[in-house]
Amino acid sequence: MTFMKIAELEFGSLLSYTPRGHSPSSIHARNFMNLLKTEGFVKDATTGRAVLMSEWVAETIQQYGKELPFSHFFQPTTILVPAPKSSLMQPNTLWVPEKIASALAAKGIGAKVQPCLKRVNPVPKAATSLACDRPLPLHHYRSLRVVGTIPQPDEIVIVDDIITRGSTLMGAANRLADAFPESKIRAFAVMRTISNPDKFNQLIDPVIGNIELRSFGDTIRRP
Amino acid sequence: MSKFSNEIGWIQLGKKYSDYTLEDLLGPLNEVERKYAPKRLFVSGELTIPLPSPRASIIGSRKASSKGLEATKFIAKTLVKEKAVIVSGLAEGIDTAAHETAIEEGGNTIAVLGTSLDKFYPKKNTLLQEIIMRHHLAISQFPVGYPTQRKNFVIRNRLMALISDASIIVEAGNTSGSLHQGWEALRLGRPLFIWHSILKNTDLIWTKKMLQYGAMILTDPNEVLESLPTSGRILMVTP
Repeated sequence: MTFMKIAELEFGSLLSYTPRGHSPSSIHARNFMNLLKTEGFVKDATTGRAVLMSEWVAETIQQYGKELPFSHFFQPTTILVPAPKSSLMQPNTLWVPEKIASALAAKGIGAKVQPCLKRVNPVPKAATSLACDRPLPLHHYRSLRVVGTIPQPDEIVIVDDIITRGSTLMGAANRLADAFPESKIRAFAVMRTISNPDKFNQLIDPVIGNIELRSFGDTIRRP
Repeated sequence: MSKFSNEIGWIQLGKKYSDYTLEDLLGPLNEVERKYAPKRLFVSGELTIPLPSPRASIIGSRKASSKGLEATKFIAKTLVKEKAVIVSGLAEGIDTAAHETAIEEGGNTIAVLGTSLDKFYPKKNTLLQEIIMRHHLAISQFPVGYPTQRKNFVIRNRLMALISDASIIVEAGNTSGSLHQGWEALRLGRPLFIWHSILKNTDLIWTKKMLQYGAMILTDPNEVLESLPTSGRILMVTP
């Protein structure tokens, strides 16, 4: 684990879902997750207006403002770095974390988007892999590169759509830490996965927490 | 040969068709979806507009093997049981088996045509096309009278990816038109599944590349269902 400088990463998330469970709220949250991954639309129950998922996320964060436990992540100088997909990408491919980061920046949540992390080798998708085959932070770290030349930011937030164990974010944070050793690096994921359906509360459930790199090379996410 | 081709006394092609935008059928589109979206669509059939969800494409070779056809029927049957609408391109082989199974199992199917609605291609699927145009849905982006050209089928494959919440390639050679749909599904960020038995064919050069770009291996059709939204493209959220 000698390559990895960061062993603990602070993260924030706005929403939650559970991959199991049959309650109306858990089904609703799963539908939300599926639409988030394809940049679908949300209709506001009061106004009837349909907005893109990424824009709804930015509007909701703006609306809650300082009430959110992770609001201090997004300073006026914070650089937003979209997390790469697990696969390679053709040109003009939907890149949901980039859409979310752009929507945040457009609302003045953070300074600007720097899509400087690139996946050079694909890794297996965590969601469709057996637990033993899921990529570890080191696999993500080795498959990512920082591209382009940008000045060292004071603060970086890696933006992702969904966090499960936090392996992608941990690998990405360590790759960024190599390029920007003086920067404060945090992570934001719109939704966090709650494996146990009994522990799922509701869709909008903002938290701040930590991803810890364990000695086995995997991660544990709290909460 | 389509199993519907021997029916007799079936309807002549209905003269009635409607003109819609893609937004009418699918709801609002994001920027990536708008890139190749046709402005007008010509539609004939009974399915509700906007289209019911979820929708899954089952596609593949015209010259399908018996195992490929069996797999198609198995996948279509499983998806129809869970109320998924089966989308395909009305070509011979895998497409025909997908449409026919959906109909036989009491489900709904959508044929996305590479010709205008007044043409029948392939000819041997004329009756199947008429059944779909009457009781299910046929969609074309080509106005009536539009000349049939080879490139239309490639353009159609993009539309098919856009209409489908997920795409499944059951069997496809290195030059199969299904690969166009596969790449477009990946570009749109929609789930793309490759039926597991395809990987046994070591002559195929596209499978490894598509897997690197995000395609997934499918061994159980129920895995498709887990990736499909049941809510359509717009979700109501209460604060």
